[in-house]
Amino acid sequence: MKPPQPETGPTLRCLDPGQVRVFRTQDGRVRATIEGERSILAPRFLRAMPLTDPDLYISVREQEPGGKEVGLLRNWKRLDRESREIVQAELDRRYLHAIVRRIISAQSLFGVAVCDFETDRGVRQVTFRDARDSVVYLGESRILLTDAEGNRYDIPDIAALDPRSRALLAAIL
Amino acid sequence: MGKPSTNSDTPSATGSTSAARALPEAVQQAVARIAGEAEIRIAAASDLGTDGRYGERWFVLAGDRVLVLSPDGDPANVLVDLPLKDITEAQVENLVGGGMLQAVVNGRKVDLVSYTNALAKRFGRVRGHLDAAAKGKPIPYEPERPDRCAKCGLIIGEETRVCPRCVRKGAVLRRLLGCARPYRMHLVLVGVLMLASTAFGLVPPYLTKILVDDVLIPRTNAYLLIWLVVGLAVSSILSTALGIWRSRIAAWVGNRSSFDIRAELYERLQWLSLRYYDRHPTGTIISRLTQDSGGVQDLLAFGLPWVASNALTVIGIGVAVFFINWKLALFALVPAPLVSIMTGSMWRRMRRAFHKYWHRWGRFHTLVNDALGRVKIIRAFSQQPAEIERFHLRNAELFDAAVYAEQTWATNMPIVSLLLGSGSLLVWYLGALIILGHGGLTIGGLMAFLAYLGMLYGPLSNLTQTTQWVSRALTAAERIFEVLDAEGYSERTPGKIVPEKIRGEVEFRNVTFGYEKHQPILKDISFKVRPSEMLGLVGKSGVGKTTVINVLCRFYDVDEGDILIDGISLPDLDLSAYRGRLGAVLQEPFLFSGTIAENIAYGRPSATAEEIMAAAKVANAHDFITNKPDGYDEQVGERGGRLSAGEKQRICIARAILHDPAILILDEATANVDLETEDQIQQAIARLIEGRTTFAIAHRLSTLRNATQLLVMEDGKITELGTHEELEGKQGVYYRLLDIHRKTSSITAMAG
Repeated sequence: MKPPQPETGPTLRCLDPGQVRVFRTQDGRVRATIEGERSILAPRFLRAMPLTDPDLYISVREQEPGGKEVGLLRNWKRLDRESREIVQAELDRRYLHAIVRRIISAQSLFGVAVCDFETDRGVRQVTFRDARDSVVYLGESRILLTDAEGNRYDIPDIAALDPRSRALLAAIL
Repeated sequence: MGKPSTNSDTPSATGSTSAARALPEAVQQAVARIAGEAEIRIAAASDLGTDGRYGERWFVLAGDRVLVLSPDGDPANVLVDLPLKDITEAQVENLVGGGMLQAVVNGRKVDLVSYTNALAKRFGRVRGHLDAAAKGKPIPYEPERPDRCAKCGLIIGEETRVCPRCVRKGAVLRRLLGCARPYRMHLVLVGVLMLASTAFGLVPPYLTKILVDDVLIPRTNAYLLIWLVVGLAVSSILSTALGIWRSRIAAWVGNRSSFDIRAELYERLQWLSLRYYDRHPTGTIISRLTQDSGGVQDLLAFGLPWVASNALTVIGIGVAVFFINWKLALFALVPAPLVSIMTGSMWRRMRRAFHKYWHRWGRFHTLVNDALGRVKIIRAFSQQPAEIERFHLRNAELFDAAVYAEQTWATNMPIVSLLLGSGSLLVWYLGALIILGHGGLTIGGLMAFLAYLGMLYGPLSNLTQTTQWVSRALTAAERIFEVLDAEGYSERTPGKIVPEKIRGEVEFRNVTFGYEKHQPILKDISFKVRPSEMLGLVGKSGVGKTTVINVLCRFYDVDEGDILIDGISLPDLDLSAYRGRLGAVLQEPFLFSGTIAENIAYGRPSATAEEIMAAAKVANAHDFITNKPDGYDEQVGERGGRLSAGEKQRICIARAILHDPAILILDEATANVDLETEDQIQQAIARLIEGRTTFAIAHRLSTLRNATQLLVMEDGKITELGTHEELEGKQGVYYRLLDIHRKTSSITAMAG
């Protein structure tokens, strides 16, 4: 007797950007169409590797609550212009972490570190309960800091920071 | 560059009209233009602007208009304007690093306003308020619990609630000293000894002055020599002896007080509800018991006596040097503040270097502990080279920090000594000038002066670090007091009814509950189980089965509705009496270090050996226990590590049998065992449930076949309720789950 087949296969499915079109419907909702196959209303676009390679793989999923993956979009920047802009907007909407460009000030106060960061989203005062425990090292020169409120700040290359920022960072880490 | 954006200056989300006062004027004008004089029912500021940069947007419910505004324009720009009647539901979408408040309009989700994680709690509440308003319910009043100090803006967070900068140091210190009140006679003695030892400590330099001026220089009064040397010896010995006595008593008082605090803290932790534990990470709670109580101990045992002793020394020396020569004293004290500040700064630098070193030690320790703890996995995947590489990296990191700390120490310490000695150079010079000019200073006086000065800078430098050090200790004390005062979470507010007997009738009446109040897990659940019946809870993972058990055990109080036990509302029942009649066998059997017999008798320590063995026999555990070298006296190891999963489970069943509960909970009791063991456990469970009201959760639906009723849950709601046959015939959710289960079983059978 043959074992019963699972309903969904275990194979990873990559979508060809040339087959995928993303557009907005008349009422403003996003819709993705895979040519000759199916159309998905209000799909979700998730980065498969948001930290190490944010733009390489985008998981296209059905809307919640089902939320099954339709396929993995590789090199999504090869989508047509309208689709690309919508996917970019959806990704910007979902991923809210900030990239630190400069550390304006940093001081340790009674066991917490209070810093002023200049980020790609503007200037922000952040507090770390214990900065040394709030840091994840993502390679030789890249760190991800999570503040006391759960917000994340990415420093893609410590070596690229100005000397004062590096010194301030070293003082709290 | 604009002002740094923080959430400390944004107003609260609220359901009252007082929010209108917090609205920026431009927003108020725009709201008034759209909604006229309508009442502002909800107003909340977000911390992200329209372009995704840090900024401000306002969510406002004014009358029946839902508005989102950007305060950039004058009046503010209206980004969203929806009639409340069009909204059927309010939702929150969790994003990465923040969230989005959404309204469901004609079945379609409309984005209202996004925010960072800093405001997740605020908008969780706003969602609940908007949802209530959309459904025509009153908006509940829930004042915002700020995460930042209202006074200074420094973050305080969920688990501390204490601003280290603004903590009322005086009040905390008074309360802390109150802990030492039972030992006040000891403290008085410590004070007297401190005064005496400090006074005796100041005598030797003065005797040296007499020795030089009255004996050595005039080469007369030889008879004084012996008395002066005896005086030097006696004062030094007395100062040292009294200092030792004082330190020993202070150490006892400090440790005894912190012993009392630790005991009170631990007792308190045993009675705090699970909701408290949900909101406070275990690591934080453990740090209360260890680090914070250690901080308090340091303060009471060493810190306060140390501060007092240093202060007394500084005052005593000040008086002595002014007595010898007030002009020279004034000159000598000129560099003192500068020296203190500089040495204080160097101490801070050294402390930072050593903190970094200790932190790296911690990381190094974690790596080694982690790697050695999973040595089998590492070998199975041939990951030794990668692990060695990881170790080298961490080791190098530790090396760098160690070298930096040691070199900082090696560089700074001599400089600190040099700075401390610098004052004496000035005194040498000016003192010698005064002596040469016959200005009223003797050579002996100068030597005594220099000796006092040598004794001054150390305590002075110590005192400069006192503020920061005492602040940290008092913050630790405040965190401890916070746990001791956490009345709202206490389980020691039980109901008054102590039932003689619990029959085991359980009724859930319109129960709604969520671990976070704005995210209900159980939604309006109602069902009834009669005494001795068995209720099987069925559903996918995460639908709320275990939550039903959690509220039944009253680990949490329900948000809405009621749970009735034998017709009595659960909060009215005496909690200890009720829990005494509850028994549970869980998926992860919990054993503590000790013997098998002690583990079985955990719920009834007075049980006889025969009763323990009888329970083990019913639980199909007796045979394997007696086959152990030490039988019932066998040590189970930490968390039962020396026993198999099936053995541990049967010991837990024996424990439940001995406990003789009226209401029994079985949560996936056979999930982690093989088929043969499962059979033995099932037999034991069949004996255990006889005559008891049983709530059972199992993924293997076959184990629930004998349940009186099956309750099928989906998304926190009951979708089906009935017997196995009834639900199978209905061909609904249960039927589908049963179908999946059959298919899985056939795969398992073939694989086996």
